[in-house]
Amino acid sequence: MHYFSARVIENRSLGGGYFVLRLGGCESLAGSRPGQFVMLRGDWGRDPLLPRPLSLLSVAHEGRADLLVKVTGKGTALMERSPPGSRVSVLGPLGNSFPASSAEATDLLVAGGVGLPPLFMQAESAARFGLAGGSEMLYGGRTSRDLVLLSEIRAQGIALHLATEDGSLGRRGRVTDELEARLDHWRTAAPTRRLRILACGPREMLWAVGRIAQRHEIECYLSLEEQMACGIGVCLGCAVAARTRPYRYVCKDGPVFPAAEVMDHAAAATSSQSEGGAR
Amino acid sequence: MTPNFDAREEKAPRMLVTCGGVEFHNPVLTASGTFGYGQEFEGLLSLSSLGGLVTKGISPEPRFGNPPPRICETAAGMLNSIGLENVGVEAFAREKLPFLRSCGTRVLVNFFGTTFDEYVDCGARLAALDGVDGLEMNVSCPNIKAGGIEFGRDPSVLGDLVKACRGVIRKPLWVKLTPNTSDIVALARACADNGADAVSIINTITGMAIDARTRRPKIATVFGGLSGPAIKPVALRMVYQVYRARIPISICGIGGIQDGTDAIEFLLAGASCVQVGTQSFVDPASAERIIREIEEYCRVQGVTDVREVIGGLAIG
Repeated sequence: MHYFSARVIENRSLGGGYFVLRLGGCESLAGSRPGQFVMLRGDWGRDPLLPRPLSLLSVAHEGRADLLVKVTGKGTALMERSPPGSRVSVLGPLGNSFPASSAEATDLLVAGGVGLPPLFMQAESAARFGLAGGSEMLYGGRTSRDLVLLSEIRAQGIALHLATEDGSLGRRGRVTDELEARLDHWRTAAPTRRLRILACGPREMLWAVGRIAQRHEIECYLSLEEQMACGIGVCLGCAVAARTRPYRYVCKDGPVFPAAEVMDHAAAATSSQSEGGAR
Repeated sequence: MTPNFDAREEKAPRMLVTCGGVEFHNPVLTASGTFGYGQEFEGLLSLSSLGGLVTKGISPEPRFGNPPPRICETAAGMLNSIGLENVGVEAFAREKLPFLRSCGTRVLVNFFGTTFDEYVDCGARLAALDGVDGLEMNVSCPNIKAGGIEFGRDPSVLGDLVKACRGVIRKPLWVKLTPNTSDIVALARACADNGADAVSIINTITGMAIDARTRRPKIATVFGGLSGPAIKPVALRMVYQVYRARIPISICGIGGIQDGTDAIEFLLAGASCVQVGTQSFVDPASAERIIREIEEYCRVQGVTDVREVIGGLAIG
């Protein structure tokens, strides 16, 4: 974990409130794994006060790091307006990661809306090891505007299945409907194939994915988000109810958890969603 | 090479301060609940550069804390309702203290209980530990036997509690006062009269936040403690009220300190040292920066000893 100053080298709008912040000066993030995140704060005074936790989308050589952000509040709106050259403070890489891709298993990467980054990074990492062909991504959102970076995803060589609630792109319905369809496919096509589900997205989607995995007895990992102030296990704000302990912490025990560890426990607790750091 | 005509200007100001029976090599400490058990910040700043650190509040037994959501951001601040989660005295002594002993700074341990007996027991056990330089009582904890009202709200209850702890604690004893009172001076006096060495002013201010869209409170316990720059004017006022009352007790100032100037303001109001809290979330290396900024203030103002600033508020 490192704490350093970086700068925005590109701020690319993707429409629908989504944008990719490309940061330079992030040499310390080299070796980050899919699922890991950073706490990011711009030089914007006292409001908003806290840094925002943002999943890494991609980390490349020469200190470049990409973050996919959606405007959901004040902090993310300020980030959207950050021109190239803006300084930001970065703390990271933080948290754990999804299990690495393996030739032994087919990974179904299930992304909902702005939950794409860790799964994109997983696909990128699989591609680097020549394993992208063995995985597939299921990506869902409310409308086609919520499905971004499609050509970048396809460029990883991973099969991509889309779903939108309004039917504007891909299957009409939820990404979980697509997941059921893909599981049916695999059960017929390769009944002995070992499958794993890796998911990130809104809480309701994650619990639904977890329930499907449970029903099919498939290994499943969920990447959670929660309000947090520090990202390093100090504020204890990001507690989630868990199976083996009363609470686990999204920042240091997660953000990736085996579904069985947090499902049913956290699902019963209140869930609230606002924004990024204060997400 | 430029000749140095004014040697005084180049000389580093003396930063040593004493507060509540503890000597600190500078007046900047990190506040309880915002600095974990110290080790979490290793590598993010130099722990030995700190005047001191105050640990997460410790109770006799481990506590698991409140249900989520536990925090939310507010204008220039945040609300928290963590529920005093901590590892308990035993695990603290075994797992956390060895690191703290080696980190080269003063260590104050914040502690609490839910009954008088728990406070006394917890305080005595912690005070007996090698490597603990002093104790800070958290009195913003609900008194279970008195229907859940905080120990620290009633001066006579607070006085009795301080007296009971003082009887068994032979190390410097500080009391972190709640600002949720109409008379901070009476609380400070109850601490002084019963043998406390210092008061930390202030703990968080009770507040709440509502999500208009869902019509629900933003934190599960509805009310939480407000911290951050939003509370600084309240904290300064309370520090100054206690200082002005000439109560024979040291003051440690806390509340919304973000930079060296903020810290200096607390010293001017009468605090002998300060604690940096929520700012460690905003910028984990801030405490070290604040120390440098205080030194810079002293240089610019021609202050050779930071103690000259304490209580130096000019009025009238």
